[in-house]
Amino acid sequence: MLAGRAGLRPILAPAITLVALLLLWEAADRVFHFNVILLPSPSEIAVAAYENFGRLLKETGITMFESVMGFLLGSGAAFLLAIVFVHSRLTQEAVYPYAVALKSTPLIAIAPLLVLWFGNGVLSKIVMSALVAFFPVLVNAVNGLTAVDPEALDLMKSLSASRFQVLLKIRIPNAAGYIFAALKIASSLAVVGAVIGEFTGASVGVGHLINTSSYYLDIPLMFAAIGMISLGGILFFATTALVERRVVFWSATV
Amino acid sequence: MIVLQDIGKCYTSANGPLQALEKVTLSVADGEFVSIIGPSGCGKSTLIKIVGDILEPSHGSVTVNGFSSRQARLKGMFSYVFQNPVLLPWRRVIDNLKLPLEILHRPGRPLADLLDMVGLRGSERLYPRELSGGMQQRVALARALSFDPAVLLLDEPFGAVDELTRNTLNEELLRVWRETRVTVLLITHSIAEAIHLADRVVLLSKRPAIVKQVYDVPFPRPRDKALKESPPFQEMVRCLREELD
Ligand SMILES: Nc1ncnc2c1ncn2[C@@H]1O[C@H](COP(=O)(O)OP(=O)(O)OP(=O)(O)O)[C@@H](O)[C@H]1O
Ligand SMILES: [Mg+2]
Repeated sequence: MLAGRAGLRPILAPAITLVALLLLWEAADRVFHFNVILLPSPSEIAVAAYENFGRLLKETGITMFESVMGFLLGSGAAFLLAIVFVHSRLTQEAVYPYAVALKSTPLIAIAPLLVLWFGNGVLSKIVMSALVAFFPVLVNAVNGLTAVDPEALDLMKSLSASRFQVLLKIRIPNAAGYIFAALKIASSLAVVGAVIGEFTGASVGVGHLINTSSYYLDIPLMFAAIGMISLGGILFFATTALVERRVVFWSATV
Repeated sequence: MIVLQDIGKCYTSANGPLQALEKVTLSVADGEFVSIIGPSGCGKSTLIKIVGDILEPSHGSVTVNGFSSRQARLKGMFSYVFQNPVLLPWRRVIDNLKLPLEILHRPGRPLADLLDMVGLRGSERLYPRELSGGMQQRVALARALSFDPAVLLLDEPFGAVDELTRNTLNEELLRVWRETRVTVLLITHSIAEAIHLADRVVLLSKRPAIVKQVYDVPFPRPRDKALKESPPFQEMVRCLREELD
């Protein structure tokens, strides 16, 4: 019983904060009558969300689809490249410094270029998402695959293990914790990438919806769209964290 | 028979070349238990790694029953236990024990026997972090024995466990050795442990190491704990300690 209550607390506490803030906001609106074009009240946003629910769901779905696809593509490619790096010194020396440099470059800046190249459909957004997800995963995967206990490598060598066996039985499990730390970051970045892509040029998706509702000064709908995509992002992050706890079950830091 | 002939090892370190081993010559009979002691940093770990072909010597050669150490390693004749247990945290005890078998594609010993041998029956489903340090080291020992190696290379395997556990682990090691007749090379910092367990004790000089002295241990087997308290044993410990300093 006690354990159950303690288990719910991490969810209940922030939920109460949220409800309290919304109530405060609503009350302030009743008193001060904020301009709806600048700051609609929670109830106005709720009405807009209710009236446009189907559309919101569809556009958010599209953006989340782009994000998840980009995330999978980008992190998958990063993982494979990291494995190549670990087995080919030369490749790593030639390419890795650029990866590290690009990790902290605002790739968002090339969004217009991607729309130009890949069109204003879903593909350019997936590419944008994949790009921003790629670099953090690459850097962490290389670290994780390399930072192996030297004694474990000695042990494998004494057994005359092949490089493939070392990769499979030591390096990849060792890297799992590092990779998931990056995946959690990448999951958030992927959503940002997709939305930026949609801002730049799109006819569907949350980014497009936010753009048009801003154009038509339908600010309650705009808020509803922001709320939906942030919910999508949170769910994405939480799912990644959940999978992490399942996969890297042995790590004390998870 | 393991034959070490004029083994030398020179590392390249930040301060230029570093001669760890000068010229180490030694032979160890099949089924023999040999302890190696020497000053800290004299090259004991280096030597045992060269025996197992984890490191290449700068000069000299190692043969094991006529095979080069490389051939012997490829045949899966060597088995290591380090000071740290080096268990894989994502594997249960039982799966840690299977690691060598997966790599060598050998059936190996029945796992139940192994668990009994080191007193781990009942813990096979646990993860390493759920074990005490002594238990982890037992798993490491069992893993090292899982594939019936010909040579057991032990690099201060009990250096990180407390005195009581160390004594029990010593007894277990002796029992395992008696049952399997595996050849054992043991590096240790404890002179008493070296004498208590071994047929011969090899004393290395300080770096760059040579074999300074080899002692035959005269005490009959089976040896029990009481032996460590006996005057002749303590006399031998004192004698070796003087040589070591
Ligand atoms: N990879 C390496 N590169 C350079 N020098 C090394 C390397 N490994 C060991 N050495 C040096 O070689 C010498 C012998 O090292 P080694 O680990 O074999 O000694 P040891 O006798 O096992 O020491 P300890 O008793 O502390 O375990 C040391 O001076 C050490 O600094
Ligand atoms: Mg050492």
